[in-house]
Amino acid sequence: MMLHYDVFVNSLADLPEDKELQLALRDLTPGKYKYCYKNVKALVSPDPKKYEQGLQVRFGRGQIHPAPYSIKVLEQVERIPERWR
Amino acid sequence: MAFKDNREYIKALDAAGELVTINQEVDWDLEAGAIVRKVCEEQGPSPLMNRIKDYPGHRYLGAPISTYKKLAICLGLDPNSSIPQIATEYLKRTNRPPVKPVLVDKKQAPCKENILLGKDADLFMLPAPMVHDGDGGRYLATWHFVVTKDPDNGDVNWGMYRQMCYDSYTMTGPLLPFSDGGKVFHGKYKPRGLPMPFATVIGPDPLSAIAACAPSPIPESDYTGMLMGKPVELVKCETVDLEVPAHAEIVIEGEILPDVSLEEAPFGEYTGYRTSPRDLRTCYRVKAITFRNDPITTISNMGVPTDEGQLLRSFSLCLEMDALLRSQGIPITGAFMWPESTHHLVVIGVKPIYSNIAAQIAQLVFGSKLGPWFHMVVVVDDQTDIYNYNEVIHALTTKCHPQKGIHIYEGAGTPLYPFLSYEERLKMAGPKVVFDCTFPIDWDPLSEVPRLVSFKTVYPKEIQDKVLANWEKYGFKAR
Repeated sequence: MMLHYDVFVNSLADLPEDKELQLALRDLTPGKYKYCYKNVKALVSPDPKKYEQGLQVRFGRGQIHPAPYSIKVLEQVERIPERWR
Repeated sequence: MAFKDNREYIKALDAAGELVTINQEVDWDLEAGAIVRKVCEEQGPSPLMNRIKDYPGHRYLGAPISTYKKLAICLGLDPNSSIPQIATEYLKRTNRPPVKPVLVDKKQAPCKENILLGKDADLFMLPAPMVHDGDGGRYLATWHFVVTKDPDNGDVNWGMYRQMCYDSYTMTGPLLPFSDGGKVFHGKYKPRGLPMPFATVIGPDPLSAIAACAPSPIPESDYTGMLMGKPVELVKCETVDLEVPAHAEIVIEGEILPDVSLEEAPFGEYTGYRTSPRDLRTCYRVKAITFRNDPITTISNMGVPTDEGQLLRSFSLCLEMDALLRSQGIPITGAFMWPESTHHLVVIGVKPIYSNIAAQIAQLVFGSKLGPWFHMVVVVDDQTDIYNYNEVIHALTTKCHPQKGIHIYEGAGTPLYPFLSYEERLKMAGPKVVFDCTFPIDWDPLSEVPRLVSFKTVYPKEIQDKVLANWEKYGFKAR
């Protein structure tokens, strides 16, 4: 499965299925912008086929969770206030 | 002699056989980091990587000052100089009067050969490496320094604070509150709701980088001048009221936001572990990037020893401790940290002329501004060579009384200590220990003090001289 993003979590409980979550994702598209962060609202699932895009899960010290998730990005979120942009 | 930039230093490394030039393409995504890590673990020559995937025209220099040999070259010394010889030269230079920097025109500043402003100042146009698998992001700033200024008195600080590329215009990183830059940000800008201007200098000349690592109270630009023996050349930034070394490879300018924190880490750290938890950390917003033609990004790869952070912090921390203790009249013979201790353990030699001198030494160094960076002090007497690992281990295991000679203190520490619990890290707890490896001075020297049994101590001088004079005749190799 193609992995489009990854996300760091403390535990898998941080990724409840089908609940709208705000996440800081890293873009895994090869090239110059690989690992650029995107803040999004999204739905995730431990079923790798449920949504179209693949999500790699990592834990707090960088360890990879062996089973990929899937993700549906609903919208991008800007966390830096307008006055600083 | 002093190198005006990293390019001159690279030539000197090459001439000394301490450089490997790699002309095949290297991937910024882990391959470059893996090369540098292996070099650190083998204490090998610095790799100059001339072709980087996705980034034509950019280059890397890895492990720039990761060995004492390279440190000697930085100072213009024989690469085979001993550690005490390097320390003597360093102290000679840093005990002379401060040398103020000079300001040069933009036209004389190679770091202005390319200028990107506003939306053109995109961090992903620079080849930030993915240093270790599992890091929280690409770390552009691993061997660099961050320039900031006190808003009240104008004091300028150069500090080495890691920075991770978050998005095109944002970096994140820990600006610890007990660091010099952190004190000004957390103590002044943040409470006033003001952004703190910053300039990140990547690929400075080697002595500027060493000055940025040194915990000296002297301004780092003056300290660089003392090390160089001439003023360092600075140039004004494009968008912030700060000055940076004119011969630096890359400069990133912007503001540290007072009210925004974003995710940073994990990262392989100088302790040899990933310790600090991923957390919301300081947010650097970028306004401009300037760089030389064919810029060389420097990479330090923190991990198990030895990297330049471990080596230079060990070197400069113990020299500052040496100066502190001598200023207080403590009769020390010297202070030394093995880089392999990740600057957590200092060995201090002293002439034990009164009781509890080890406790006094420990209280002085733990209570100083150097205190948060280390937690073990081993005090040995003046018969022990502090640079000799065998002698220090022998003293520790034979002279330190397990009940009376080990004292524990509370103090401030870094959250990067791997042995701390998560709660202790959040509180910046810093438990500390001193090992007193001196025999009590009230022991009778004839009946109570054990006598060291060594070639130097239990044979008459004439026997020693005879044995040494005949050593090769006996059939041994000269040493």
